[in-house]
Amino acid sequence: MTIKYESQKIAQHFYTFAVLLFLVQVLVGIIAAIQFIKPDVFILNFNIIRSLHINALVVWLLVGFMGVTYYVISDESDTELWSLPLAKFQFWATVVTITLVVLGYIWMGISPQANSPINGINPLNEGREYIEAPRWADYLIVVSVLLFLLNCFMTVLKTKKWTGIQGVLLGGLVFLALMYLPGLFYTKSMVKDQFWWWWVVHLWVEGSWEIIAGALLAFMLMKTTGAKREVLEKWMYIEVGLVLFTGILGTGHHYYWIGTPKYWLWVGGIFSSLEPIPLLLMVWDAFRTTREARNVTNRPGLFYTVAHAIFNFVGAGLWGIIHTLPQVNKWTHGTQVTTAHGHLAFYGAYVLLVISMIYVTLPSIRGVKEYNPSRAYLSFWWMTISMVFIVLTITGAGMVQTYMERLMGLDYVAVKTTYNLWFWILRAIFGVGFLIGVGIFVVDFFKLGKEPMPVVSPAPEKA
Amino acid sequence: MSNKAARNLFIIGSLFFFVIFLVLTFDTMGKLDKRAPVITEEVNAGKMTWHKYDCIGCHTIFGNGSYFAPDLTKTAENKPKGYLKQFLMDPKAVNAKAAMPKFGISAQEADHLIAFLEWTSKVDTNGWPPKPILAAAAGVGGKELSAGQRVYQAQGCTNCHMINGIGGTTGPDLTKVGSRRDRKWLHEHFEEPQKVVPNSAMPGYKHLGDQALNDLTEYMLTLK
Ligand code: HEC
Ligand code: HEC
Ligand code: HEM
Ligand code: HEM
Ligand SMILES: [Fe+2]
Repeated sequence: MTIKYESQKIAQHFYTFAVLLFLVQVLVGIIAAIQFIKPDVFILNFNIIRSLHINALVVWLLVGFMGVTYYVISDESDTELWSLPLAKFQFWATVVTITLVVLGYIWMGISPQANSPINGINPLNEGREYIEAPRWADYLIVVSVLLFLLNCFMTVLKTKKWTGIQGVLLGGLVFLALMYLPGLFYTKSMVKDQFWWWWVVHLWVEGSWEIIAGALLAFMLMKTTGAKREVLEKWMYIEVGLVLFTGILGTGHHYYWIGTPKYWLWVGGIFSSLEPIPLLLMVWDAFRTTREARNVTNRPGLFYTVAHAIFNFVGAGLWGIIHTLPQVNKWTHGTQVTTAHGHLAFYGAYVLLVISMIYVTLPSIRGVKEYNPSRAYLSFWWMTISMVFIVLTITGAGMVQTYMERLMGLDYVAVKTTYNLWFWILRAIFGVGFLIGVGIFVVDFFKLGKEPMPVVSPAPEKA
Repeated sequence: MSNKAARNLFIIGSLFFFVIFLVLTFDTMGKLDKRAPVITEEVNAGKMTWHKYDCIGCHTIFGNGSYFAPDLTKTAENKPKGYLKQFLMDPKAVNAKAAMPKFGISAQEADHLIAFLEWTSKVDTNGWPPKPILAAAAGVGGKELSAGQRVYQAQGCTNCHMINGIGGTTGPDLTKVGSRRDRKWLHEHFEEPQKVVPNSAMPGYKHLGDQALNDLTEYMLTLK
């Protein structure tokens, strides 16, 4: 396995930053979990820790997407990147921006008044979930993303070799960039605030990001199994088509109770219930391709790819549909059921996606033919089993909360501090299991291809 | 289906659904202001304060946000202003067990936040949060209520106090209050809590009249 073009190596910069942020994300996640049991356990309050946790998550996934895209675009266009220096500049600009944002959060955590508005704008933290980054950082991020997209499009224009995969990938990325814009203006009404906020959050994870996932799934299956492009691309179009046909109007499942008109109960209920269909199709696609595969060149890569397809369906599809009908959501809205779904969906759909792409592309970037896959599998099982148990635990907490607080009318704090205490303890313990898995993955990431193969090489190369 | 047909279906279909979404968005925007009270300068200042302290990092509002602390959509409906103000400015001074930190919220910021929470409490949310449907919520297992219990229910003491596991956690648990306090203390405390407990965040109930306060006191004394 080798890369075709030298500039594809730039992906590794992005991977490294992503992997380190992943480690930070999970470390602070464990602190957040402990704060559910002992709120004053750390110098930074829960809200700051949580912002760090979810922002690190979103940013490392986006950074991962960027690295992956540079690799794929060059590969698909059959040419070097338009400008490698620009890609490097864009990378470092992103690193600096993100570091400043993180320092700002910590500063605000230590001294809340530091976030007092300047000219009506909060300088350190916007105070809106997931898009906490302050306005100046938003602009820098937009510039960075524009430079990134420019580089990609100019690369494609060099050879004008439009493939379906890169078309859909770039389309998804443009949609992603556009959907950042509804989060960039202030509204006096909290209802309108949340309305536009969901454009960003929902149309990202259930729109543009799934488009990107569909394109990358086709790419990874093609690379790891040697399956035919035509077939993969046809199914890709059908999958991403269904994602948008259901997902765009599916946004309505967030417009039930925020002060929006009642017709959203119908629109959101019907369309979001259909959202799992394309995800199921992706699972079928992955299995069909794997079964027909004759020439698997990168087993861990394929293994992670199939796992991504399965857990995308389970986390987003199954754990999504259980609470998406208004009749159910009325009771579970804003409980730990949502947290359970959020974790399994993000893990299955995007964490596993970026890790699969790393395993699919890294061996060729490092120029290794074969590598010892044992750590790749070991970290997968540590992470996945721990995550499944975190999710089951929190689903339990969500059911107890829904029953006791919402149906019986007991007090929120009473349910949290007494009835759900054991669930918090279990989550923290499984969180440590997850951290072990991440640790093994990080070690593998840095060592892959840099150590000699074991003397007894696993299966002999099949031609 | 050919690849080209699949691609065209994807593009045209997606645009089609996005256009419908835009039309619904346009219609919704026209209706939102009628479903909510007018936004005054105070309410807007409260919303800005909300963002400044990143309240969403612990709380939900309209059910969206973080799940570390209670939803605040209807708080202003259930809790008196005076209490809220004291709590926001220094949570642990009101309730030693509070997990909410002290942020240095000023008196004016607290007023703004309360105006903001009053606004959210009056937004038409299609009936969310729903009323609990199981009997335990009422705190009565089909028994006849005493006069004191009736005042207790009507005044919403249960929003702040817990008896036998039912009720709020912002004030002390009253399950055994009868063995802690005597008649005189209770009566005076109901009239003007701040006179008995300095800086108490509990509202006074003098306006209910002596009869109601006596009934309440009787009820408290049975809790042993
Ligand atoms: C670090 C987490 C955290 C942050 C940030 C936070 N709160 Fe709280 N808040 C809590 C917790 C936990 C409770 C539940 C009572 C307790 O244990 O303190 C609470 C309770 C409350 C209550 C009382 C609710 C009731 O029904 O009695 C109000 C009002 C409130 N918070 C408003 C706010 C506002 C306004 C902000 C932003 C300025 C804010 N909170 C920020 C954690 C937080
Ligand atoms: C907004 C919240 C709130 C409401 C409503 C409220 N209280 Fe309180 N109550 C408190 C707080 C806070 C304290 C602790 C400070 C104090 O003792 O004054 C307290 C203290 C008490 C105490 C003394 C408990 C002890 O052990 O010292 C009694 C008795 C009491 N409340 C009864 C009632 C009754 C009866 C009602 C309804 C008529 C009521 N409260 C309404 C917040 C509230
Ligand atoms: C990969 C795709 C998905 C991801 C990453 C994801 C993630 C999330 C997250 C993080 C939240 C919580 C948002 C918050 O913090 O307020 C959420 C909410 C929600 N999701 Fe998903 N989701 C995905 C797909 C789906 C699908 C396919 C469905 C439905 C079938 C669904 C249904 C819901 C519902 C109903 C809520 C609202 C929960 C509430 O009322 O509190 N999600 N999702
Ligand atoms: C790759 C793994 C992980 C992903 C993708 C992830 C994702 C998320 C997301 C999307 C949220 C906010 C959305 C929501 O609350 O619904 C969140 C919140 C949270 N996460 Fe994670 N997380 C991961 C790992 C962990 C771990 C290992 C722990 C610790 C045990 C943890 C603890 C928490 C806590 C305590 C919250 C706050 C939830 C709340 O507000 O109730 N997370 N995480
Ligand atoms: Fe959604």
